[in-house]
Amino acid sequence: MRPSTALLAAATTALLAATACSPSGEEPAEGELITVTAGVIPIVDVAPVHLGVEQGFFSDRGIDLRLEAGSGGAAIVPGVVNGEFDFAFSNVASLIVAREQGLPLVALGNGATSAGEQGADFGGVFVLDDSDVTGAADLEGLTVAINNLNNIGDTTVRQSVRVDGGDPGEVDFVELPFPDMPAALETGQIDAVWAVEPFASVIREAGHREIASNFVDTHPDLSVAAYFTSEDRSARDPELFEDITAALAESLTYAEANPDEVRRILGTYTEIDEQVIERMVLPRFPEEIDEESVRTLADLMVTDGLLDSEPDLDALLP
Amino acid sequence: MSRPTVDEDRETTRETVPATPTEQESPVARPPRRRTGAARAAGPALRTAHVLLLPTVLVGVYWAFTAQPGAGFYTPTPDAIAVAFAELWFSERFFVDVLPSLGRLLVGFAVAALIGIALGTLLGLDARVRATVEPVLEFLRAIPPPVLVPLMIMLAGIDDGMKIMVIVFGCVWPILLNTVEGVRAVDPVLADTARCYGVTGTTRLRVLVLRSASPQIMAGLRLSLALAIILMVISEMFASSSGLGFAIVQFQRTFAIPEMWAGMVLLGIMGFALSSLFELVEGRVLGWYRGSRAAHRGE
Repeated sequence: MRPSTALLAAATTALLAATACSPSGEEPAEGELITVTAGVIPIVDVAPVHLGVEQGFFSDRGIDLRLEAGSGGAAIVPGVVNGEFDFAFSNVASLIVAREQGLPLVALGNGATSAGEQGADFGGVFVLDDSDVTGAADLEGLTVAINNLNNIGDTTVRQSVRVDGGDPGEVDFVELPFPDMPAALETGQIDAVWAVEPFASVIREAGHREIASNFVDTHPDLSVAAYFTSEDRSARDPELFEDITAALAESLTYAEANPDEVRRILGTYTEIDEQVIERMVLPRFPEEIDEESVRTLADLMVTDGLLDSEPDLDALLP
Repeated sequence: MSRPTVDEDRETTRETVPATPTEQESPVARPPRRRTGAARAAGPALRTAHVLLLPTVLVGVYWAFTAQPGAGFYTPTPDAIAVAFAELWFSERFFVDVLPSLGRLLVGFAVAALIGIALGTLLGLDARVRATVEPVLEFLRAIPPPVLVPLMIMLAGIDDGMKIMVIVFGCVWPILLNTVEGVRAVDPVLADTARCYGVTGTTRLRVLVLRSASPQIMAGLRLSLALAIILMVISEMFASSSGLGFAIVQFQRTFAIPEMWAGMVLLGIMGFALSSLFELVEGRVLGWYRGSRAAHRGE
């Protein structure tokens, strides 16, 4: 959300040169930038796109990318459907559900991928240090806090329970915002919490014990989130969306190769404590969505009843 | 919702908050509307027509708007909403989501009424206690209940207790403040008369104080009932796994839009039903008051 001065200068020149502002969708004049608005959540996962704007991966392709913060997937998806956002960021489970409900969404590229390492992923399940729970199977009969029910969190935690030999149907899930989780865990209101970074680090450093890495248990290369747009929008501007996809890929590759840059940019658009930024586990940022992992996730969503039938993933995935 | 400034001087107070059986209307209480002679004569058929006319027109306009091609994913047609409504709420979901919500709402409302009327009577009768407690009450009243949810989770857990506390905390204020004003505005002539006849203690409370404050207490209860429905929904948005508010948020997040609308329609119907029920109760409780007002106007 802070375009470089060069970018601003270019945009101003372009505005002065043009007699009229051409709406996005028309061929831009030489040197003019097309304004593209993206809906993102101010979390760790979207660091690559912030880096991409800063490094000029978008402006090099004639795109003036504006990042608008939304509160969550449910608020961002309508923004894409009504054209307020040209593209946006959401977790994969929400995209699969939206597509199955008849919203014509298509993925543009990968968002964030599991770090792939047991006990060192960017999300995990935590219990009190003196809890009797040693593995995910012990969660049977206990209450686990999740930020959003019927989404990627509980689906993958259920898989952790299953992999560990337990019955996920015996686990009670309850919704709590991430920031309220540590207190609820400490007062014994709930038995376990599922949290992602930076909350996972805060919980870990408060001395709580990690018992499962639910993303890794689901698939070591699980694509957790993705950038997406609507079919209509990309069909109206196929060339623009080729450029956006290429710029996103370059941003992800840059973030993947430069974790220090990711940690640096986090300090600019989040309020995460500096010390936590230094120590927390980052997601991986491969540019391609891992199709197999998305299929595994979709199968689990069918098994758990989030979906009535096998979803048509070919329509969603690029 | 304006409320009169609390004056310690009884004379000025009596100007803003009149003793109840008079023509003037106090700014806090909304005394029930008198039915006009025409409405009374019209009969139930016309009354039903009156109730149904506007909803029919509104649904018709909405239908015409949504029936156009490409009206949008987020505005399903009324028939789609009706189908979702029947499928959702004429099933076991009614027992899983609706009944527990309704239960919490009624318990929360009842507890708020008890606390509000009891504390309000105490404060209304004793100026010194009122002066001591008022600043704290004003402070607490200004806190929106949803921001207290994390604290309430610590105090009351994540179960029904917390949700009921949220409802009570939001609902108690209109009842409390209206009760205070109602109790303060007891007609001094009546109070003197009661004293002359030796009416004291609980009898005095029952036949004089609460009786004469009842129009304002009922007005406070009516405001709180509407608040209770809103707070029921809000309380279920935190630390929840069932309930009507939880279900609506879930439908929204999973893009089940006709179901989301069906949930909102059910909320509206619940609100209408509760308010109608309240009107019935109010009619019985305040029968004397309406009669006295009508007599006063020479009808």
